[in-house]
Amino acid sequence: MRRACIAAVVLAVSATSAEAYEFWLRAQTIGQAYQLRSYRLVGPDLFLGRRRYTQTLALRIWDVGDLAAARRRARLPERGLRISWQSYLRVDHDFGDYTSGRLLFGSVRRDALDVFPELAETTAALDLMYGYVELAGIADDRLTLRLGRTLRDDGWGTTAIDGGTLRGELPPPLAITVSGGLRVRASSPVGISAYELDGTSGAACREYVEGATPGTGTWQLIDRDRQIKNNRFRSDFEYCPQRDVRQPTVGIAVATSRLRHAGAELGYRRTWSRTVGLIGTPDRLQFTDRGLYPDEFGQAPATGVDEEYAYARAYADIRRAGTTIAPYANARLSLLHAALDRADAGVRLARGPHELEPSVEHFLPTFDGDSIFNAFSIEPTTDLRVGYRYSGAVTAIANAWLRRYTDAWAGGVDAGVERELARAWRGRVDALWDDGYGGRRIGGSGEASWRPQPALWLRGRAIVLGVAPDQDIRRRYITSSTVASATWRVADAVALHGIVEADLDEVHALQTRAIAVLDLAFAPEP
Amino acid sequence: MKRALVLVVVAGCSVALGDAPPPVTDDWSPVIYPAQRLPLVFSHARHLARGTQCAACHPAATTSQSAVDNLLPTEAACRVCHPIERGEPERVVPNAPPAQCRACHAGWSPAAPVERLYLVPPPLKLSHAAHAQVPCTRCHGDLARVDLATRKQLPTMASCLSCHRDGDKPRRCGDCHLAKLGGLLETRFAHGTLVPHASGLGDAHRIGFARDHRQEALQQDATCEACHDRSECVACHQGVTKPVDFHPGNYVLAHAVDARRGKPDCSACHRAASFCVGCHERSGVGRRGITDYNTVDPERAFHPPGWASASGGRNLHARDARRNIASCASCHRDDECLDCHSAQPGSIRATVHPPNWRGSARCRALDRGNRRMCLRCHVTQDEVGCDWTAP
Repeated sequence: MRRACIAAVVLAVSATSAEAYEFWLRAQTIGQAYQLRSYRLVGPDLFLGRRRYTQTLALRIWDVGDLAAARRRARLPERGLRISWQSYLRVDHDFGDYTSGRLLFGSVRRDALDVFPELAETTAALDLMYGYVELAGIADDRLTLRLGRTLRDDGWGTTAIDGGTLRGELPPPLAITVSGGLRVRASSPVGISAYELDGTSGAACREYVEGATPGTGTWQLIDRDRQIKNNRFRSDFEYCPQRDVRQPTVGIAVATSRLRHAGAELGYRRTWSRTVGLIGTPDRLQFTDRGLYPDEFGQAPATGVDEEYAYARAYADIRRAGTTIAPYANARLSLLHAALDRADAGVRLARGPHELEPSVEHFLPTFDGDSIFNAFSIEPTTDLRVGYRYSGAVTAIANAWLRRYTDAWAGGVDAGVERELARAWRGRVDALWDDGYGGRRIGGSGEASWRPQPALWLRGRAIVLGVAPDQDIRRRYITSSTVASATWRVADAVALHGIVEADLDEVHALQTRAIAVLDLAFAPEP
Repeated sequence: MKRALVLVVVAGCSVALGDAPPPVTDDWSPVIYPAQRLPLVFSHARHLARGTQCAACHPAATTSQSAVDNLLPTEAACRVCHPIERGEPERVVPNAPPAQCRACHAGWSPAAPVERLYLVPPPLKLSHAAHAQVPCTRCHGDLARVDLATRKQLPTMASCLSCHRDGDKPRRCGDCHLAKLGGLLETRFAHGTLVPHASGLGDAHRIGFARDHRQEALQQDATCEACHDRSECVACHQGVTKPVDFHPGNYVLAHAVDARRGKPDCSACHRAASFCVGCHERSGVGRRGITDYNTVDPERAFHPPGWASASGGRNLHARDARRNIASCASCHRDDECLDCHSAQPGSIRATVHPPNWRGSARCRALDRGNRRMCLRCHVTQDEVGCDWTAP
């Protein structure tokens, strides 16, 4: 009887229609071993080992439910609802002293992580870089919905939100994209600080401690009387509640769609966060605690904007009589700062093997609305740039740039030439010079690559650079570095990469670094 | 011997006129259309001049649904007009089209095998049936002036896009190109690797593209994700290893110059307040860790003399902070600035604001947007906000 039941269950399961999902995986295992110096002006430098292990996994599950299989088999363009999943997961840990070691801080020996909370980035970090389900082809291919951790890159940096993005086709040639969710922070579940707005630290966070009379309080390190637990993966002491609150984010963009030779986009994005109120026990301080921020007069806002941008971009691609003219312009207005913080415009001119690109760029550093750096950063810079590229029997690149400050300048040129030297051999030389604000650098590099066998790539590179920072003429030095790398394709799509770097300069003695990568989805460069 | 190969052509053609043929360019991809070997003598021009219809030799061209379908006429199709007899290679029939083997197979000899054709189907999705209403010349050009058809009589991407132009129909790379597992385009073939080639989509992988592709990536309907998984972007921009030629070797010693200028834009990959601070502090360069850098002793100072002085002097740090405080943020946390730049008791109250700050649009915008930042320095009622009034 039991056998019959088992057989029935097996038959029932096997009779179910097979839902064939297409999987695509890319896994990389990266091991790095090197040392970083802890500089000492008196006595020899300390060497802190980094033994870093990183595992990444990119996953695509395509056409969940086989909704597009029939058209795919018929080799017809994909239409109708298609469901897919894309994600990229990373585990990163440094076993070396650099992150996992201890140090004498004052007279107390502490975990490095407790003293420098920023090191938590490489301590057993489990990061979901992105992961979303996509529903494409909704409403006769007019809507595409992404739900999960989605990325957005506006050309000036990448952000990620835990939420959704919906793109809809408007009457041609326009499309609209709306997005909403919580911005990914270091404190988000499986979050990563790289997506977080810059400027606010994860250390030495303070709270306002009220005084005897309104306006006489002071900012002090957040009360340490709270219970401390020995956490091996993050700082035991630092407590920055404003950096842990959620940051709702909304965005909208209207752009051209399905145009080939021109395009434009207008967009808006806003991120804000709730103001942290009382933390800990309210009466632990001498005077009435009104929250993390001073609020004796009701001056603490309920929320604060972390970023608010309006941006626009446009480009065109005009081809006439063998000549391509491609102008472009991008600009971003920070509404939080009432300032244009990023802008650039240029044109690419191409004819035959020659390409010339003059451009101008405007830059004003801006930060998370909570950062006081916003009040300091008031002097934008403007760059003039010109680039030239040649692709013929040899390939060549040359760039020049000039930046004007209110009372200084900076500029530089770099150029490189690459060509095939012999069968399976390629060579390249580059030169660099820059000067002005920041310092002077002059040097060059030579590189050769060789493919002795179809499954083996070898590459070597040497660089010599003279550096003279303008802040301090005492620290002029010449630095040299040699890098050798090898890639061995063990099997189809499986490769081992090895990189060894040896650096020699006037400041340090010889320093070495080794990186090994096991790549389980290797595809050689074209 | 397969005399059917006599009439090899690559695709259907038509004498139908009307639409102008696509412009002739040298834009045939060697990956989509690998080099052919066509050891034949044939004239489309002569056949068309005689009034032969395309479908007479290529009957499947109106029903084929796949680019791998063989649309070449067989020997049987040739025999309809050419009185070919395999047993009579030198056969001549008066008032009939040529029937000798060498009429089509140049240099044919009974002592040697017939030279074979080498013709690879293009790795494309193409339904001739779906294009049955389109005149053959629209894609294949005017064969009335062509003898042997080669890949130059096959449509280029530019000619495809002359019909499949901007409009309301969705248009994806995968509509025509083959996809592999995961939905990404198949780009590696026996004849080479498929890379974008300035075909009007503005995404040609020109020299230096790996370092400078911002403009391409920003374009609307950018086609990057057709071939590249997004993890490739993240692995480089937010990765734990960088391509060896992105930063020069021993960059630890050379990066300071770039960082002070903010060129290249470090923030595109690195967050100063975490990535930079963590490394600097651990390396003894920051303020918080164990360090022999000493702001009092000029021989052991990180910054030059007169860098930050409460009693005047060059005070160079103010200049750097105004220009690119991101470089300051790579070592200093924002609280450290407040030691001097605060309206709090105990501070020397060194203002960072330019003249007329309080009435400026920027002051108002920052105060309106996020007063939490202002409250870090300004606490008393008369100092709060640009135009704040107590509730």
